[in-house]
Amino acid sequence: MAARGSAKRGASAGAARGSEPQEEPPPPLQAVLVADSFNRCFFPISKDRPRALLPMANVAMIDYTLEFLTATGVEETFVFCCWKSAEIKEHLQKSKWCRHTSPNTVRFVTSDLYRSLGDVLRDVDAKSLVRSDFILVTGDVVSNLNISRALEEHKLRRKMEKNVSVMTMIFKESSPGHHARCKEDDIVIAMDSATNRVLHYQRTQGLKRFRFPMSLFQNSIENVEVRHDLLDCHISICSPQVAELFTDNFDYQTRDDFVRGLLVNEEILGNQIHMHVMTEEYGAHICNLLMYEAVCSDIIRRWVYPLTPEMNFTDDKNQNYTHSKHNIYRGVDVSLGHGSMLKENVLIGQGTVIGSNCSIMNSVIGQNCRIGDEVTLDGAFLWDGVHVADNVQIHHSVICDEAEVKEKVKLKPHCVLSSQVVVGPDITLSEGTVISLHPPDEEEEDDDQFSDDSGVNKEESKVKLKGYNKKDVGSEGRGYLWKADDKNEDDEEQRQSLWGPAMLSEEESESDSDLSMGSEEPDSRAASPQLDDIKVFQNEVLGTLQRGEEENISCDNLVLEINSLKYAYNISLNEMMQVLSKVILEFPLQQLDANLDSQNYFSALLPLLKNWTPLFKNYIKRSSDHLNALFAIEEFFLEHDSLCTSIAKVLMTFYQLEILEEDVILNWFSLRDTSDKGKQLRKNQRLQKFIQWLEEAEEESSDGDQD
Amino acid sequence: MPGAAERGSELSEQIEAFVSRLRGGGQRPRSEDTARQTLSLLRKIIAHGRWGWAGELMDLIRTEGRRMTAAQPSETTVGNMVRRVLKVIREEYGRLHGRSEESDQQDSLHKLLTSGGLSEDFSTPYPSLRANVIEAINELLIELEGTTDNIAMQALEHIHSNEVIMTIGYSRTVEAFLKEAARKRKFQVIVAECAPFCQGHEMAVRLSKENIETTVMSDAAIFAVMSRVNKVIIGTKTILANGALIAVSGTHTLALAAKHHSTPLIVCAPMFKLSPQFPNEEDSFHKFVSPQEVLPFTE
Repeated sequence: MAARGSAKRGASAGAARGSEPQEEPPPPLQAVLVADSFNRCFFPISKDRPRALLPMANVAMIDYTLEFLTATGVEETFVFCCWKSAEIKEHLQKSKWCRHTSPNTVRFVTSDLYRSLGDVLRDVDAKSLVRSDFILVTGDVVSNLNISRALEEHKLRRKMEKNVSVMTMIFKESSPGHHARCKEDDIVIAMDSATNRVLHYQRTQGLKRFRFPMSLFQNSIENVEVRHDLLDCHISICSPQVAELFTDNFDYQTRDDFVRGLLVNEEILGNQIHMHVMTEEYGAHICNLLMYEAVCSDIIRRWVYPLTPEMNFTDDKNQNYTHSKHNIYRGVDVSLGHGSMLKENVLIGQGTVIGSNCSIMNSVIGQNCRIGDEVTLDGAFLWDGVHVADNVQIHHSVICDEAEVKEKVKLKPHCVLSSQVVVGPDITLSEGTVISLHPPDEEEEDDDQFSDDSGVNKEESKVKLKGYNKKDVGSEGRGYLWKADDKNEDDEEQRQSLWGPAMLSEEESESDSDLSMGSEEPDSRAASPQLDDIKVFQNEVLGTLQRGEEENISCDNLVLEINSLKYAYNISLNEMMQVLSKVILEFPLQQLDANLDSQNYFSALLPLLKNWTPLFKNYIKRSSDHLNALFAIEEFFLEHDSLCTSIAKVLMTFYQLEILEEDVILNWFSLRDTSDKGKQLRKNQRLQKFIQWLEEAEEESSDGDQD
Repeated sequence: MPGAAERGSELSEQIEAFVSRLRGGGQRPRSEDTARQTLSLLRKIIAHGRWGWAGELMDLIRTEGRRMTAAQPSETTVGNMVRRVLKVIREEYGRLHGRSEESDQQDSLHKLLTSGGLSEDFSTPYPSLRANVIEAINELLIELEGTTDNIAMQALEHIHSNEVIMTIGYSRTVEAFLKEAARKRKFQVIVAECAPFCQGHEMAVRLSKENIETTVMSDAAIFAVMSRVNKVIIGTKTILANGALIAVSGTHTLALAAKHHSTPLIVCAPMFKLSPQFPNEEDSFHKFVSPQEVLPFTE
């Protein structure tokens, strides 16, 4: 393999020097495979086996990914492992991809220091492993895509626009709510349909309402499409710049961070992300057990042709299946008892013995399993060496290696039995039960979640101390119930991590409430700090004015202070006007305390207004400001009914001090769409008199002008 | 010898590549191409493989052949070619070993019963065996290349003027057959389209380019139109040992309709499609592909 590779390179170099001095021969296609997901989905199953080696239809997940890469023409793959890297390495070295005849060279890079995808890519950049465009993929991708078309488009784009396009993400078209779409991973994308450029990328997180920034639609792009019918395959074609960008921004941890960061900083850095949508080929990424179920059943129903079970693409002698009607795959040496029926979509591994009168459908059974009589398996995923006794019913559950299910057990949907667990006779496990041999409180002592369980002695001693709970696992059972409450993190996060958010029966709260204070961020937390901001601003203004009064600070300085406060708290002019009016009107109330009498109030207010006239004049310049001030005054008086009588005097004062003009006051008064309270306010006698006087005054002045 | 080792690894690479291409699905490959590739690969194995005597060589070919047939059971030409090569080896060995023609013919019934299995053990090494076998395979390859033309040459004997011919799907052999006849005769062709992939459409387009009057019709109308048809000419994928055919779906309908109307049915197939197997229960010769082509994923 190495000889052939170097010969090719030698020949191509010669050709370059000879006839084609301009065109370089295309460098070999490289891929970066991240064999670790850096999260705790699939715990506790992944405590025994690394995620990449979990079997899908009896073939490890990483085999599917490597087959996809090899079939699409990748010649060099870098596999990055962190958790249980020795097992992954061993598995791959025994597989066909590490044989010298494999067209795809696999190189391992192992480190315990990786904590995220970002770390891996920073390592890629540091070691300069990639020479040109590469495919970035996680270890749990199942696909039959031929990436050459997308790759050509990517290269063309980069050539035409001089390296502006940094990454091409690959999506598959599928309708919303499709069973192969992971709820955690669901995305909404806005794209430019002419150039396939990604303009906006957002995780749905189960929300029902989404916010899109207006700038998305206001720029010069003509055809903006907002799409929710895309499934993220986690396959990306990246340019070498991606690795550099990860090194520059060391807080990018996941691909999401990267995409969002790039889209936000687009004007500054000028990098763009494009996408490719595949309609006919299959691509999916397994992030939780629901996706595992969905993709397994897709493989059995041959959606991922030609990576079907009977093709035996791993060249493993134990994986020779024959395919019959209704998607029944039988391995070698399978024996089926009398009266048993394999209804549809069943895969049975080599050497399995099935008893009589069983009914099996939509299931995957591993190698060397023993299944008793009268067993019903519906949507069950049994790995190698599982023993199932008689009269058992298993629905939509996963049973890992060497586990044992004794007689008359009923497993309700979404149960998980981890490796070597025994579930005793005559027990029904309720929905969503997870049983594992690793006791759950071991987690609390595990500081480093990514450390291998090398301290086996620690485990054994613990097991001796704790017995098995008979209620959980039955009289002959062995295993601990893995409950959400034992975790330190939120309940929701743990329940979500194994089966995905669809498991939660209660609805996600409508976090996207109507607190729209002009915020454009999809993050709903932005609303509450705003309120706090205004309150804090109000207090600050109050403090300023108090000091101003005590120390007789000139109005100019007060204006300066209030302006700086406005910028500090990012308050808009309208709000500032309202707050200011409110604060000033409330000011006397603090001094008066007990006797809230109109007269006293007004007499206290008047000098303040006179002093702070310049303040008002500075901020009230346009008619909208006048209106805002009037609204604030109205609000204030509505809150403080007892002071209603002095509203006319206040307005009079404002008018005489030339803070508010008569047009605006009249305008405000005649506003039709006010609340009932507002209407009542306007019916105030004095106020009406004042308005009348105003109107007459206006006529007089206008008459005066005419004369 | 580094050269041999390199060649050995190159050979296994090529075998791997061939096997994965067989598995690869995708477009339906031409049977002739598959046959030719199989033969070239087998010739390389014989030339570069490490074997001492005929027995070893035959085992080697059998192993590789089994692997290739397991990769894609529906491609029977691979198995057929492997069997032909094995027969060639046996013949060449027999010739070198000195078994005369006469003693062969003297195999009476009694001798067959009492001889009890193969007396040959193929263990004597002959240095010229390699060259002989390779020469025989080259002859096979030449024969392969000429098959379609040989079949087409007989077209004029079977097709007369003003005849109505029916065919189904797209077969390159039948296309060559009809084109050759069209040079001298005038006739009409009705093509059944063979849904859902409708390969019949492609056949009709190619035929009409040669100015043959072609009609395309749906598979459901086969029986209805059969009464007007003079001859049915079809291609096939494989011909089994009892004369059964493995062909594109819809052929059975066509054959039954032709039998009912007593219309003669001609099958045009080159020699590499002849298989010594018998039809069995398992439908392992069917190729089940992704449902994507008939049912969109967005279900």
